Amino acid sequence: MKSIQEILKGKPWLGWIIFAVTVIIVFFLGMLASSIIERRAEAIFAYTPAVTFPPDEPRNEVWGELFPREYNSYMKTSETDFKSKYNGSAMVDMLEESPRMAVLWAGYSFSKDYNQGRGHYYSIEDIQKTLRTGAPDESVPSPQPNTCWTCKSPDVPRLMNKSGIAEFFRGTWDTKGTEIINHIGCADCHDSKTMNLRISRPTLLEAFEAMGRDIEEVSHQEMRSLVCAQCHVEYYFNKEIAEGVDYLVFPWKNGTTIEDMESYYDELGFSDWTHAMSRAPMLKAQHPDYEIYLTGVHAQRGVSCADCHMPFISEGGQKFTDHHIQSPLNNVANSCQVCHREETQELIEDVYSRQDKLLENRNILETLLVRCHVEAKAAWDRGADERQMKDILNGIRRAQWRWDFTAAGHGNSFHSPVETGRIITGGIAIAQEARVQLARLLSSQGYFEEIPYPDISTKAKAQEYIGLDMEKINKEKGLFLENVVPRWMGQGREREKREYVE
Amino acid sequence: MRFISKLIPPERWRFPVIVLMGIFTGLAVFALDISNAPSYLGDKPETCVNCHIMAPQYATWYHSSHREITHCNDCHVPHNNIFNKYYFKAKDGLRHATIFTLRREPQVIFIKDEGRDVVHNNCIRCHEELLTDSRLLARGRDIHEFRMDRECWDCHRETPHGTVNSLSSVPHARVPLPGSVVPLWLKDMVSKSKKQ
Repeated sequence: MKSIQEILKGKPWLGWIIFAVTVIIVFFLGMLASSIIERRAEAIFAYTPAVTFPPDEPRNEVWGELFPREYNSYMKTSETDFKSKYNGSAMVDMLEESPRMAVLWAGYSFSKDYNQGRGHYYSIEDIQKTLRTGAPDESVPSPQPNTCWTCKSPDVPRLMNKSGIAEFFRGTWDTKGTEIINHIGCADCHDSKTMNLRISRPTLLEAFEAMGRDIEEVSHQEMRSLVCAQCHVEYYFNKEIAEGVDYLVFPWKNGTTIEDMESYYDELGFSDWTHAMSRAPMLKAQHPDYEIYLTGVHAQRGVSCADCHMPFISEGGQKFTDHHIQSPLNNVANSCQVCHREETQELIEDVYSRQDKLLENRNILETLLVRCHVEAKAAWDRGADERQMKDILNGIRRAQWRWDFTAAGHGNSFHSPVETGRIITGGIAIAQEARVQLARLLSSQGYFEEIPYPDISTKAKAQEYIGLDMEKINKEKGLFLENVVPRWMGQGREREKREYVE
Repeated sequence: MRFISKLIPPERWRFPVIVLMGIFTGLAVFALDISNAPSYLGDKPETCVNCHIMAPQYATWYHSSHREITHCNDCHVPHNNIFNKYYFKAKDGLRHATIFTLRREPQVIFIKDEGRDVVHNNCIRCHEELLTDSRLLARGRDIHEFRMDRECWDCHRETPHGTVNSLSSVPHARVPLPGSVVPLWLKDMVSKSKKQ
């Protein structure tokens, strides 16, 4: 057997053939490699939008030019014609539905006005309209700080990037009336370069930091809930972080359950307001939708907010995320029935039955709380002192915190019926205990009769009972809406024309 | 051994041959790396969007209830034995890779007959109890027409990918496509040296 060297010596042409074959193989291997690179580059270009606007572009219609389907479906959040048994897309005057709430919030601006909100499309209009923001004009400031704008507009990240977070919160609500004019939209959840989901509000990042979690580590699926959790969560205003600023904070340092947040507030000695009748140091729960959702079975099975509230839909030959964020009850086929094979009506009835049952006990708790406040006031009026009232007031605080936690999130009864039921039951026990203590105190004062339950059968009666002059408040608001708001919006549009020269 | 010894070059050619072999192997390793070749041995659904034209299939699966239970391989490769699984996967995968490389992909991708059989059997693999329900065991004259000759998706048409599947059907879906072939550390180095 000859070695290859010897073979080649005899046949030099064979050497050339080996050379040529090698050239061909390397050539095609190189072609293959460049083809792979090319197709991978394609993936980057094909799915990266040709965005020309700046990262903080607040005008939704500018984004909409590139994403007409998403934009058009998003603009359907302007629809107000869907009504479910308790919720829906129309504005519902909750104080009218349940005048007891006005008494529970006596001394706090929620007693003036509390509505079940409309879609994201109305975020600016509705915060201007609510009586809670007052009727500011040149001489009178709003009773609320700029912090209240935080969740209302993609103008917010724009301004925060300009001035810094604390500076954004500084000042009363009316001072940014011309700066914040675009309703909640694209830039609130999307990165303008890649269109990936992004966290645009620093408060959620800070809350994750406080819990020792890194928000960079979360999956895409978690992001499909966390973009919602930038706003649909419990929050409070911390006055300690920056001088003279109501700094927005999520109270998650100890965790996200109701007890975790309660212990956080207690450690801080925090209260949102002092109740006008019972003088209890109250907590106001703000829509803790995300926290309640986390305790529900859907969250445990890995279902995100977007899975039900923004399902995939097809239109013509295209599939995309339905940006018409709404109650899944108005879109059962694309939301529930992706997983659940039951009839539409059955699924809706399932939801209603949970709501019915939980509302039953929540109403009991609500009535007990009215009695608590009324009886505590009676005890004060009869000369009770701080020491005697301390435990009672703490009980009222804790019971109402539980009531509010379940009432403030309109989806709670469905998102997590067991947790919501647990909270209400706990609230009833605490409220009853407070009333036992009150009865003892009242009897020690020599009073053994029932303190009469006030006539608060309508919103007007309830508001009169807690001493609100609604006629004056409504009149001032009317003038504000008529004179100030058009000026704000006009000046805001003018400013945009200057800032964004087409 | 004798064959291999014949291939060994003489002493003075060894160095250039080693270098040349290195270039050749390096190029092959490069091709394997940029094509994420090792990922094809696993079961991750992200592997299937190594080719971006699979984005509609990924996005529709991700928005279906099957997301919670199944990955691509659970339905699209056979599971009767491990050899058949990898044989089918290699065969199907190489066909896909070839079509993708030659840019011969159709605008709307339809499953081939062999793939249909695999998927159908996998439907049955998990949903067997639906077929062995005693109420459905009665054999009528029309059993072939109505029971045996049909595939699950003759009726369950939207499961799980839906009926719209052209390459351009999900233009804005967020799909974990492979990014740039340039690794991050290299990008960082380049951008740093640019700044300097």
